Amino acid sequence: MDLSIFDREYHHQFEVTPAVYNAFQQCSGDFNPLHTQEEFAKSKGFNECVMYGNILNGFVSYFVGMLLPTQDVIIHSQDIAYKNPVFMNDKLDFTAKVEDISEAVQAVIFKFAFRNESGKVVAKGHVQIGVL
Amino acid sequence: MDKNQILEEVQEIFRDVLDNEDIVLANETVADDIEEWDSLTHIQLIVAIEKHFKVKFTSKEILSWKNVGEMIDSISTK
Repeated sequence: MDLSIFDREYHHQFEVTPAVYNAFQQCSGDFNPLHTQEEFAKSKGFNECVMYGNILNGFVSYFVGMLLPTQDVIIHSQDIAYKNPVFMNDKLDFTAKVEDISEAVQAVIFKFAFRNESGKVVAKGHVQIGVL
Repeated sequence: MDKNQILEEVQEIFRDVLDNEDIVLANETVADDIEEWDSLTHIQLIVAIEKHFKVKFTSKEILSWKNVGEMIDSISTK
């Protein structure tokens, strides 16, 4: 496949809704009080419960599986760094662009970032996909 | 760049990607000699080598390599 089809900027808006939060909680089994008890979160300096960082990895999965120009893809590797907390009902602007392409092994590395409504980067990272 | 130096740097990439500090590469080394070197890690190795040496390979080129030595030859000519 000609991998230049991937070479554009991607934009999408995600929202951490109660449904997303609950689904991730059930999926992960993570009931850490930072994510579930407001008083605990306040005692640690946050105004409310902090959302699970790995919800954003789920959004990256959506990007790879649903937003790329072909569905013939698989994730090889992924890294993410969290820069600021995300809270319930935050709307996150997701952007991604190609950082590197290896035609030889049909792999594409994307650099991505999530920004909150204040424009602050809440997380950024890379995802490498392979073309099937 | 000297081929021995390329081999040393490629060896470091193999150790890092395959998480095995005991890997010692020689020109004659092939995938069957290294347990962790399978089809998926091969992709990671090529991506890492291309990035490290700032080179690009073709799929035809990769398929033509019979051992690590031929990979080193390919890097040295770019």
